[in-house]
Amino acid sequence: MKVREIERSIADKFPDAIFKRDESGKTGALWSVAVPVSGVRGAAEAFETAGFFLETITALDFQDTFELVYHFNCYEAASRVAVRALVGHDQVPPSIFDIFRGAGWLEREIHDFFGIGFSGNPDMRPLLLPEDADYHPLRKNFGKVDSYHKREDIYG
Amino acid sequence: MAERQMDAPATEQIYTLNLGPQHPSTHGVLRVLLDLDGEFIVKADPVIGYCHRGHEKMAENRLYKQFLPNTSRMDYLSGMLFNHGFVLAVERLTGIEAPERAKYIRVIVSELNRISSHLLWFGTYLMDLGGFTPFLYAFDDREHILDILDSVSGSRLTYSYCRFGGVCRDVDQAFVEMTRAFLKRMAGRWTDYEKLVSRNIIFINRTRRVGVIDRELARQYGVTGPNLRACGVAFDVRKAEPYEVYDRFDFDIPTGSRGDALDRYCVRFEEMRQSCRIIEQALDSLPGGRFLAPKIPQKIIPTKGEAYAAFESARGLAAFYLVSDGGSRPYRCHIRAPSFGNLNVLTEVLPDTMLADTISILGSIDVVIPEIDR
Repeated sequence: MKVREIERSIADKFPDAIFKRDESGKTGALWSVAVPVSGVRGAAEAFETAGFFLETITALDFQDTFELVYHFNCYEAASRVAVRALVGHDQVPPSIFDIFRGAGWLEREIHDFFGIGFSGNPDMRPLLLPEDADYHPLRKNFGKVDSYHKREDIYG
Repeated sequence: MAERQMDAPATEQIYTLNLGPQHPSTHGVLRVLLDLDGEFIVKADPVIGYCHRGHEKMAENRLYKQFLPNTSRMDYLSGMLFNHGFVLAVERLTGIEAPERAKYIRVIVSELNRISSHLLWFGTYLMDLGGFTPFLYAFDDREHILDILDSVSGSRLTYSYCRFGGVCRDVDQAFVEMTRAFLKRMAGRWTDYEKLVSRNIIFINRTRRVGVIDRELARQYGVTGPNLRACGVAFDVRKAEPYEVYDRFDFDIPTGSRGDALDRYCVRFEEMRQSCRIIEQALDSLPGGRFLAPKIPQKIIPTKGEAYAAFESARGLAAFYLVSDGGSRPYRCHIRAPSFGNLNVLTEVLPDTMLADTISILGSIDVVIPEIDR
């Protein structure tokens, strides 16, 4: 079971990390773990070594912070887990494109939509937006916005 | 794939070719910037986003049910599968449970949609390779599926048939008979296709050892679906985390071994047969009862939290990720589109192949651009 392995190696790397388990299956992930933004690369390396693939990266925009959500999965039954990192609105998270090559495009997409840069990613051209786009449509200060919360209002 | 002559004189002239966005074989609005050294590709840079409509932003400004029609407009060839996936995500978020009959109906229409998607891929792929006849055969068969789905959903492509807690209309005896007639028809068609295409020497020469994706490359780019299974990895969401009632049916996951265009062809071809098996079993055991759960609120207001629902679309692992702030509209809706990784991998597959093979490779990975662009 690769999920057991990865749980151990993440727990070794991040002794303070709290694993949030989901018994209901609602979040689609067996557990999610919050790591500091500086630990994203370390976590990704552990997943790469364990034979996982990167399913998707998403960002969430809150009044007080961004949050990056990395979903990893492997080719075994029900093995999806999530790694979450809080990124301040003015912070630049590290890129993991050299660990998972598919992350390059995912990071470009997040840069398009949220304006989050990724340090180390050599190709930050707009992917889905026009090449001269200077707006970030999924930020909660762009266009029509239904609601904008602090993170604790939803996850608190 | 021809080997490049190492002792050939080094040329300094690199020719840039703009393939698309309106090239007939790029399927939708895909543009690929190709740097060519003679007939060989040095660098391939897919340029996408021509079909970006901002579905994720739209979701944040719509009621959950208002977003449902959007979902069949991402991967427009498997609209039913995306309807199904979105409904699964909302049901997970809210705890709504669909009745048994609805789950069976959803499986039947989803698998029909998968076959129609594969048939369209089959027809257009063969047409890209220069064979017009298979296209006509495939579209003839596909038309039957569209008629069946039309009869229950009122639509041929953008179905919006699944509802939170069920489906919008019950299926009747006529639907069951039409579907059974289709399965019977297809049972005789596979051998026709095999005779026409699968053992055609021109076809085999254009696909064997062309566009090889190995396991490691597939994992690096998050390639899923038939493209991944062609590398020999038996990974299918319907088996790995069975949603709805997929665990009650007996079906196989076809895999390849070489990961080339021919393997991808064979895997998709076999998948259509397996989908027929699933439909047949589902029709045999179709339970009675309600097709829509009672007392589904007009306005869905989930509790705070998030839900993630992965499902096997015709192109691979797709997923809806919903975050709710306790309001009537999603706080965030992210869609994991399988074609995203499937196209991304081409930046490494295309270099060192020949230009003529590019068309074959592009067709064999079966991307739908609007689902990447969203």
